[in-house]
Amino acid sequence: MEPAEITGLVRAAAGGDSDAWTKIVEHFSGLIWAITRGYRLASPDAADVFQTTWLRLAEHLDRIASPERLGAWLATTARRESLRIARSSARTVPALEATMVGLGHVDDHSPEQAVLDAEQAMLDSERARQLWRAFRELSGRCQQLLRVLMASPPPAYAEVAAALGMPVGSIGPSRARCLDRLRQMLADKVSVQLLCTHRHEKSRLESNSA
Amino acid sequence: MPDETDHADLEAELRQVLVQIDSVPPALLDAAVGAFAWRTIDADLAELVFDSLVDQDEAALVRSSGHGRMLSFRARTLTIEVEVTVTGHSRMMVGQLVPPQSATVDIRQGGSLITIEADDLGRFSAGPLQPGITSLRCHVGSDTPQSSVATDWVAI
Repeated sequence: MEPAEITGLVRAAAGGDSDAWTKIVEHFSGLIWAITRGYRLASPDAADVFQTTWLRLAEHLDRIASPERLGAWLATTARRESLRIARSSARTVPALEATMVGLGHVDDHSPEQAVLDAEQAMLDSERARQLWRAFRELSGRCQQLLRVLMASPPPAYAEVAAALGMPVGSIGPSRARCLDRLRQMLADKVSVQLLCTHRHEKSRLESNSA
Repeated sequence: MPDETDHADLEAELRQVLVQIDSVPPALLDAAVGAFAWRTIDADLAELVFDSLVDQDEAALVRSSGHGRMLSFRARTLTIEVEVTVTGHSRMMVGQLVPPQSATVDIRQGGSLITIEADDLGRFSAGPLQPGITSLRCHVGSDTPQSSVATDWVAI
């Protein structure tokens, strides 16, 4: 969306135009959701951050200094609220731990594993499942960056920078590095699978011939 | 080194996977659209300027009276200080209006609204409250109509 269009929508919504508000919500919801999920919040906490961000905007519509930078304002709000909720120890402690700890190796019976299993079941091809497994083994920072970059519609770098609290200039190089890493992990998974298939085939042939 | 095209293909695949796994839940989209109806256009906004959860400075040590979470909301004419304590799944709230004055305080949470009174010294308390996204709206002054101040929304 062009900056002039965003500015127009913000002004219209501030004046009470609910259609303009709906367009803003539809355009930026993917980004806000990706940010909350990138901070590894449990679903109820992610939902609270999402809704808090929109309630905040509703109250701040006529106070935003640079309406054309609305995406960055929303991303900053979502990041701050994600950190706030992650630190709210009285709320879900597991969410806090999940935020702090990278998901390198998951315990087979952990809640994380249950989530991963459920996610796998939603994918329609083995290739997609391999890609998702590889993605989940990336560092927390790479997962976070790629989730935000892959939001629909694709966010501007200024919005990504606000979402992650990183300089705009480091987004491109980090993006390339994380994708290289993802490709490598995916290749490893595919070759391991080929090896297993090969072994399985070989042992089947051997047992047939025996 | 893989070239840009390879990255573009991988990104397209990943985007597709994320759409399948983690799109915005429709109920949340509806709630976000509905947030517009919660605007308080007739009230001054008191912005969240301090939260002991995230603003860990010396002020936190000075201001914290104990184990509660301290929140401070500031509008042009009124500051609302709140301490929230957690007991299991419920929340207790103790507040102070600065400058001290009596007021009617609406505690807004989703569809529910609880109304309490702040005494002449600006003190109020409420609870047990549900955990959730909350905003306070204070009606102050004896003039008619009263002036209103609404706080930023915050999850407690």
